[in-house]
Amino acid sequence: MYTFQIPHLGAQRPEVAVQRISGEKLDLISLANYNYLGYSYHPEVLQAAKDALDIYGLGATGSPVLNGTFRLHQLLEQKIIEFFDMPGYGVSLFSSGYGANIGVVSAYAHKGDIVVLDRLSHASLVDGAILSQATIKLFKHNDYEHLDRVLNRLDYKNTRILVCTEGVYSADGDTGHVADIVRVSKKYGATVLVDEAHSLLIAGEHGRGVSEEQGVLDEVDMIIATFSKSFGGVGGCLYAREDLTNYVNWYARSRMFSCALDPAVTGGLIKALELAGGPDGQAKRERIRSNADYLRARLKDKVDIGDSHSWIIPVIYGDEHLTIPLSDYLQRQGVDASLMSFPAVPKNQSRIRLFVTSEHNQDQLDRGADIILQAAEKFGFLLDK
Amino acid sequence: MNNPENQDGCLIWEFDFALSTYYEIELEAVEHLIPKRMSIVEVAPGIALLALTALNFPAGALGNLPEFQELIYGLVVTPDLSRGVPKFAMLILSLSSTNLEHLEHCVSYYKLPVFGQFSCVNIQKEPHEVEYEDEHGLITTMKNVHPNPVYEPGERYFQAFVEEAGDLYVADVLMKGSLFEHQNTGDAGTLYNHPFFRGIDMEEAEPVAYMQMFSEPGSLGKQYYPRPVKFG
Repeated sequence: MYTFQIPHLGAQRPEVAVQRISGEKLDLISLANYNYLGYSYHPEVLQAAKDALDIYGLGATGSPVLNGTFRLHQLLEQKIIEFFDMPGYGVSLFSSGYGANIGVVSAYAHKGDIVVLDRLSHASLVDGAILSQATIKLFKHNDYEHLDRVLNRLDYKNTRILVCTEGVYSADGDTGHVADIVRVSKKYGATVLVDEAHSLLIAGEHGRGVSEEQGVLDEVDMIIATFSKSFGGVGGCLYAREDLTNYVNWYARSRMFSCALDPAVTGGLIKALELAGGPDGQAKRERIRSNADYLRARLKDKVDIGDSHSWIIPVIYGDEHLTIPLSDYLQRQGVDASLMSFPAVPKNQSRIRLFVTSEHNQDQLDRGADIILQAAEKFGFLLDK
Repeated sequence: MNNPENQDGCLIWEFDFALSTYYEIELEAVEHLIPKRMSIVEVAPGIALLALTALNFPAGALGNLPEFQELIYGLVVTPDLSRGVPKFAMLILSLSSTNLEHLEHCVSYYKLPVFGQFSCVNIQKEPHEVEYEDEHGLITTMKNVHPNPVYEPGERYFQAFVEEAGDLYVADVLMKGSLFEHQNTGDAGTLYNHPFFRGIDMEEAEPVAYMQMFSEPGSLGKQYYPRPVKFG
């Protein structure tokens, strides 16, 4: 019955095959992966990865500040700078999104400084804040009025303050109130970091994230990107003013003491970014939004989908004791889904998280929705019950 | 765990109402209340848990005491796992009651930090809602924020630490009853700036309900509370 850490037998496509501990193989509709734009298996991305592999070999085999930086890494940095199209900005690459957040936060803030986090911040931001030894303050989730009160109580005259928020929160699929948080933070001279892990390449007219969508891209001090989601690879980066990225390059320990991004992935990321910045990306952005709206419409009023407005749709089933049997049921009926249970979420608020991609077709979304609703009927979390 | 039922000096207290709320509160606002040798559990970095429990003991719950009400407040601290794995451990910081004899017993028997006697207590057993007040003014209003409680027979083991004259004492306390707990958010009432809370500025600390536990209306629960022993 145990369904977690189940091996997948191929790429993270809308339909996947998995093999359970018992050896049993199942074919599933995947609503569980972050491959939002399908770039992890895009033929051009794969070809670019293969080409890079042929030239640079399997691993970078060194720290980016020593021998691990390749021409390819510089090319990726340049592509990201061009993608955002803001003069004077730079990029600092990391080998994971987690590494980017802990590295950037702990490089920027130190003992005596203050890191202000949303109560639902990702673990990597929390861990970065802990590692920095700065004083940590929390504000209620997405509540910029509470943030205002928290900042107002601080002695901010001689202190560096870093406020962290996110573009899209992955537990609820809700969007960060980035513009309001920027406005409040600037009132107190605070620096603002926005983690666009689940929103970059998707949100905003050009895919530059929720910061672009809410019209504050040029007011945000630091953007964190993760390459393991809409880019379809792995890694992360800081996008910020060039002096800041230069500083982070030398002071982020998770960067300095990790191997540089592996070449094949880097080659693939460059191609994914090229595609995302052009008509391919535009079409995919439109598709993922309409797919998410479609699935939401299928589920809304039948199950509790919270306040999701994004491509992440939670279906709240409540009782954590249902998690294992429900997960088993979903797999056996044909859906690969990501379940979050207490203590990752509060008691009685356990949820199935559905990740919609641009690559799903309507039939797959319908089949997925049907199975979710059957499960809701069987396990008693249909709204009309 | 060390079964309290078998421990020396264990008294059994019957209650017909219990409502506990655990509030998130900034560590900075409360850390001065904890002895150096104890550490506060942080549910998030810099966030402690303040525990507040309202109880109603019917007449005869213990000896010849008449019906009385109690309010007890503490902070969640790291437990002593050599004694067993509790639901939580708490350093008790204040206790008040409507009954003077009960208060005297709390000091002499349990070394509890008694604050004083209430002037007014309102307890609505269903829905769960309380209001406590004394000569200094309102202490708290507290209410359940879950619309559909589902009660189940259960027990909760917790460790109750107290400090007396620089020494720490601990008791393994067991509560049995028809209980429900949840983490719904909502307006769980107000903690007022009051000396009962030992100097916490509640307006600045802005406590937020983290979890609630309460007993089924109309049911009788039991609290097994042995005499505390010296800790460490």
